Amino acid sequence: MKVLVAMSGGVDSSVAAGLLLEAGHDVVGATLKLWGGASDSGCCSVADVDDARRVAQTLGIDHHVFNYTEEFERHVVAPFVAGHLAGTSPNPCIECNRHIKFELLFERATRLGFDAVATGHHAQVEVRDGHHLLVRGADGDKDQSYVLGYLREDQLAMLLLPIGHLNKHEVRAEAERLGLRTWDKPDSQDVCFIEASKGREVFLRQRATLTTASIVDVTTGEELGTTPAAELMTVGQRRGVVPGRDGERRYVSRVDVAARRVEVGRLEEILISTVALDADSLSFSHATLSDGSAVLVQSSAHGRAQRATLRHDGRWWLELAAPSRPIAAGQSVVLYRVDDPTVVEGAAIVSRT
Amino acid sequence: MNLYYFDHAASAPRRDEVTDAMAPWQRGVVGNPSGSHRAARDARRAVEEARDEVAAFVGAKPGGVIFTAGGTESCHLAIAGVTNRHRRTHERSEIVISRIEHHAVADAAEMMARDFESVSVRYVEVDADGVVDLDSLSDAVSSRSALVSVMAVNNETGVRQPLDGVNSLAKSLVPGGVATHTDAVAAAPWLSLPVITATTDLISICAHKLGGPVNSGALIVRNDVPFDAVTPGGGQERGLRGGTVDVAAAVGLAVALRLTERDRADVYDRVADYQHTLMAALSLLPGCAITAPAAARVPGTVHVTFEGLASDEVLFLLDQAGVCASAAASCSSGAAVPSHVLAAMGVEADRARGSLRLSMGAETTEADVEALIAILSSVVFRLRDEVTAAPGRKD
Repeated sequence: MKVLVAMSGGVDSSVAAGLLLEAGHDVVGATLKLWGGASDSGCCSVADVDDARRVAQTLGIDHHVFNYTEEFERHVVAPFVAGHLAGTSPNPCIECNRHIKFELLFERATRLGFDAVATGHHAQVEVRDGHHLLVRGADGDKDQSYVLGYLREDQLAMLLLPIGHLNKHEVRAEAERLGLRTWDKPDSQDVCFIEASKGREVFLRQRATLTTASIVDVTTGEELGTTPAAELMTVGQRRGVVPGRDGERRYVSRVDVAARRVEVGRLEEILISTVALDADSLSFSHATLSDGSAVLVQSSAHGRAQRATLRHDGRWWLELAAPSRPIAAGQSVVLYRVDDPTVVEGAAIVSRT
Repeated sequence: MNLYYFDHAASAPRRDEVTDAMAPWQRGVVGNPSGSHRAARDARRAVEEARDEVAAFVGAKPGGVIFTAGGTESCHLAIAGVTNRHRRTHERSEIVISRIEHHAVADAAEMMARDFESVSVRYVEVDADGVVDLDSLSDAVSSRSALVSVMAVNNETGVRQPLDGVNSLAKSLVPGGVATHTDAVAAAPWLSLPVITATTDLISICAHKLGGPVNSGALIVRNDVPFDAVTPGGGQERGLRGGTVDVAAAVGLAVALRLTERDRADVYDRVADYQHTLMAALSLLPGCAITAPAAARVPGTVHVTFEGLASDEVLFLLDQAGVCASAAASCSSGAAVPSHVLAAMGVEADRARGSLRLSMGAETTEADVEALIAILSSVVFRLRDEVTAAPGRKD
C-alpha cells in the first residue's frame, strides 16, 4: 500500500513510519509546517522538521514538507483567539486534527495517489463486523483517542495508526532498534503555537485586549475580587480563584466577558448534571446514536470517562449519571461505548447552556 | 528512474572540468596562499590566476576581486561593508534596495537597520512584470543614501532589471553620486557582466549557479568604493575579507566562469528555444499563467502560477515522476512559502500559492523539455480533476 505518514519529528510518528516500512508498504513521510511564529513546545519547529527529515533519511524514505501555515491560522489559531474572547475554551489540538490533518491532509493524500494516511497517535483502528472503529491506544496513560474523536468511518477506513497497540516504552524501544535519533526525544507538551515559557496570556495579549472582570460569588452575589483577564478563566477551574469569605475553595462556574463578570461557587454549588451540545459539531464515528443512547463521556484529553445518556429533543444534550464539574463551552466531549469503553462513538463541542 | 533536472537556478550541475581542475587542490599538501614557501607559492599562483579570470569575466581589475564563500557572503559584504563605512561619517544612512531582492541582500540590509539606529532601508517598488520602477528609485535616492542595490536578474522570475537606469540615477541624483551594488548571481550564467554592469560599483557572483562548487563566490569592486571588512581577521584579500583563501574554490569559480563564457552564445540560443517551447506549451494548460510573459528575461527560467493548485502538490507529483523543480521561495524548514517577489508584483495570494519555477541550463536537452511538458501536463490535469472532484472541500 502507498502510505503517507504525517511525521511531526517526534518518536511516535518516527516509529510509525519505520513499522510501516518494515511491513512492506511504500512509505513517504510528510511534515506539516503549521505555525510560523515562535514556539518552544517541541512540535513543528524547524528543529522538529529537521528531526523528521533525518528520521526519513535513516529509514531511506522520501520526505516532504507541506506548508499549512495559512490554513492553521484560519482553522486553529484565529478560532482559538476568538473563542477565548467570547469566554469559551476551544481545544486547538482537536481543531487541528479535524481541519488540517484529517481534512486537508487526507484530501491532499488522495490527490497525490496515496491509499492511506498514517500518524503516530496512540489509538487504534479496528475492523469489526465490517465497520472501522476508533479504539483507545494500548497505553492507557498515552491514549489519544480523545483528540481523534471526530473521525468518521470513511476517514478511519484510510487511516493507519501503527503504534496504537504499543505502550510508550515499547515505542521508544522500537525507535532504538530502528536506530532513529528521536528515540529519547521528550514527548511534546502543550499547545504548539504558544510558548510554554510565556503562556497563553502573553500569546492572547499580542492579539487582543483582555478584559478586567469582577469575580462574584454565585450564591451571595458578593464581589470577591477581580481578574485582569476574564478570557483566561475557564469554567471548572480553581487555580487563580480567590477563596470565599469562609476561606473555602471556589471554582469558576460561569464566564461572561461582555458583562465583565466571572461567577464562582463552592464545588457543590457549581456541579452540573446536563451538558448542552453544539448540533453542528456533533459527529458520529460509525453508527448514528439517538435519544436515550447510553454513552461514556470524556471531556479532556486524559480525563476520566463518565456515564451519561444522550438526549435529542430538538436540541442535543447529555444527561449525566452523576453530578460533575462543569465543562467549559468550546471544549469537546468524546463519546465512548458503554459496553466496550475503548470504542469511540462520536464527539461534539460543548455549547453554552 | 530518469532524472529531469529543472532547478538550475537553485544549483547547476557540477561540470567535470571544474571537478578535475579543483582535484589537485583537494588532496595532499595544499599550501596556505599567505605563506612564503614553495607549496604556498604554488597555491598563491593558482589563486592569482583564478583572480585574473574572474576579473576578466566581470570586466574589472584583478585587484578588485575579493574571493568569498558564495553569493550570500558577497552580498552581505557589499551591504554591510559599505553601510558601516558610510554610517561612521554620516548622520543618517539609508540602504536603497528593490522589493524583489534575494534574502542575501534584503536580510543584510534589514539586519543593518535593526542593529544601528542611524541606518534604515528604503524600498524601491516594481511593476506588474517585476521590473524595478525607476520613478520609485528616484524617490528613494537622496543625500542620505549609503548604497543602492538592485539585482541584475531576479532569481525567481528570471526577469532582467534596468541596471543602466539604476546606475545613472544613483550617480546623477545626488552630488558625488551614490555607490551601487548588484547581485548578479542569477545573471551570470546568461548575460555578459562587463556589458550589463559596466557602471556598477560592486558586483556579487557565485560559482554553483555556473556549474562550479558551492561555497565559492566573489565580490568584485570597481572604482575603489570605500567599505569596511565584515571579517577582518588575518588581513587576506587586501584586508577586506579575512580567512585563508580556499584555493580549490577559487579555481573552481574561475573554471566555471571560463566554461560559461566559452559556451554562452550557443547555450543562450538553444535554451531560449526551449523557453519558447515551454512557455507556449504551459500557457495551454488550464489555469496556468506565465509570470511576466512580455518582460525581458534570461532564457533559463520559466515561472508560472496555477490558479487553485498548491505548489506543494505539483512539486510532489513532479518529484515522483523524476522532475526536479522548485516553488522558488521556501523557508528554513524547507516548506514552500508565499514569495515576496510575487507579492511585490501584485500577484494574488491564491495564484502565488500555486507557483512553479522551471529553470534550465547548459545541460538541458530537447528531450528533457519534451518529457517535462508531458509530465507536467498530466500532473496538472490530474490535480485539476481531483480538485474539482473532491467532495465537501470547504476552504
